[in-house]
Amino acid sequence: MDVKLRIHRFVEGRKWEQDYTVTLKTGMTVLEALIEIKEKQDPTLSFTCSCRSSICGACAVRVNGNAELACEMLVENLVKRYDTNELIIEPLGNFKVIRDLVVDWDPKYARIKKIKPVVQPKPEFSKETGCKQSPEDFNKYKKYAGCILCGSCVSECNKNSLNQSDFLDPFVFVKAEKLVADSRDKSPEEHLKAVVDAGLWRCFNCQECTAKCPKGLDPAGAIEKLKEATFAKKLDDNVGARHAKAIYDDISESGTLDESKLNIKSEGFLMAGLRAPMALRLMRVGKMNPLDKHKVNPEIETIRKIVKNAEAAAKEAE
Amino acid sequence: MKYALFPGCVLEGAAAEAYTSLNKVCDKLGIEIEEIPNWTCCGASHAQGVNDFAALVINARNISIAENMGLDIMTVCNTCTLQLRTAKARLDKDAKLKEKVNKVLKESGHPYEYKGTSKVTHFLWILDEHPELLDGKVVNPLHGVKIAAYYGCHILRPQEIMNHGDGKHPEYMERLIRKLGAEPVWFDGSRKCCGFHAQLAAEHDVLTVTGQIVDSAGRAGAMAIATPCPLCQMQLDMYEPEGREAVHSQAEVPILHLQQLVGFALGMSKEDMGFDRHVSAQAKLKIG
Repeated sequence: MDVKLRIHRFVEGRKWEQDYTVTLKTGMTVLEALIEIKEKQDPTLSFTCSCRSSICGACAVRVNGNAELACEMLVENLVKRYDTNELIIEPLGNFKVIRDLVVDWDPKYARIKKIKPVVQPKPEFSKETGCKQSPEDFNKYKKYAGCILCGSCVSECNKNSLNQSDFLDPFVFVKAEKLVADSRDKSPEEHLKAVVDAGLWRCFNCQECTAKCPKGLDPAGAIEKLKEATFAKKLDDNVGARHAKAIYDDISESGTLDESKLNIKSEGFLMAGLRAPMALRLMRVGKMNPLDKHKVNPEIETIRKIVKNAEAAAKEAE
Repeated sequence: MKYALFPGCVLEGAAAEAYTSLNKVCDKLGIEIEEIPNWTCCGASHAQGVNDFAALVINARNISIAENMGLDIMTVCNTCTLQLRTAKARLDKDAKLKEKVNKVLKESGHPYEYKGTSKVTHFLWILDEHPELLDGKVVNPLHGVKIAAYYGCHILRPQEIMNHGDGKHPEYMERLIRKLGAEPVWFDGSRKCCGFHAQLAAEHDVLTVTGQIVDSAGRAGAMAIATPCPLCQMQLDMYEPEGREAVHSQAEVPILHLQQLVGFALGMSKEDMGFDRHVSAQAKLKIG
């Protein structure tokens, strides 16, 4: 069976799509198809790759709109998924393209620097004794140490697609969580303050980063852990944090969200007041009634105890 | 077929029409639903960022009540589905965590322990898994009606947790739209996140993406957007005018709850489906 690869080309400012045909072989990866095209059909086609073993992350591309590691993704699986023998190959999204499928990592490395991306050792460590930690402490961030910087997580990040200037790439948050959870670091607050300033609460929570991570690292989960840490370190004076806290508190106060007060709790009276036209719009169709009394769950005392006891248990486990 | 219904906060608040229409549609389809008594908010994808363990126990409590009813759980909100399924997945694979959670539930006076016996599913998934529910009941096939299927994020991702269809290339909602007699349209915004959960923290971006989604559906010829998530519905419907402004669009597209679309095909009217509670493009809806 022949498979047509429609590849997005970009050479010296000129953009076009070019079709290539490869014969599908059992076990053929996207990277093998690209290499075959470069070796036998068109030596001008550019892409990056290195280990070919899902370890280095150099070969990530977009196939039919989804980021994939070219070296591990089988062409036959894509043909099956999309029920077609035509695939569209593009460079990763949310990156500057240098040529064809090659993207520019330099601006991304510059963004990683925003989170102070190195362990700042506690004073008890020295050149002589080293910087050791227990296996238990290592396990707290081990998962996030597995990031291979392939860029798949940012390719379809919905927030990044809209505006990168006030939001970091998911892999940067993964790196930050690794540092914050590292018992050897003397000041997790510094990394945390940096991520709050760089958009932590602007995440859409759309789970695209987690869905696309080929190593299963759950960048969206890392973002949630960072948020939780900002509460512990009292770095929570911003609208996103207040909104999350308002929702959390509503569970203890009544069991369900009190929609009529969420904005006031999150933004304050003044900002919420500026939203009066929206409130009127909702009142007009019966979606909001300021006279409605918010119901309180009949089991609220038990629910409050659950939250309190869970908080105590979580603290004990720290 | 009977389920324990987890309606979620929005169905008891701003999107009450989603609850009304769900009741009517389930009644017609022969799906019996019984609301989980004294359920609490699932955390709305925010509570775990304040205290992850507390949010987990709260959802373990919700699930344990359904378990005591002896029923699987049906949700109608993508975010509730994700929160409940995430809690269940974590508890079912970690015996120590389950024990810790059950200790908190017991100490706090909750009468049931979390066992892991109730599945958590979504109304859309039930219709996808049981297409026979619609057999012979589509009395008003939506011929000539073009519908944009807007899944929303949390029903698709992460695949490991949601695990219904292919999260990277879902097709089941389009299948359902065809079953109702309508024609699904492909549009650029179909897999974009509506940004609901960041509305306050990243307002400009969220309004932009809201506008982009509605605009791309409008350009694709959609007569309505249908979504299985009341939060996506709220975002796209409530903020449609601001979204238009943000992307300089003229598109006015009605935004339907999935159950309203099903209801129209089952012969119910706009009034039956509570369509008068929608904010945008009311006059543009040509079905129902």
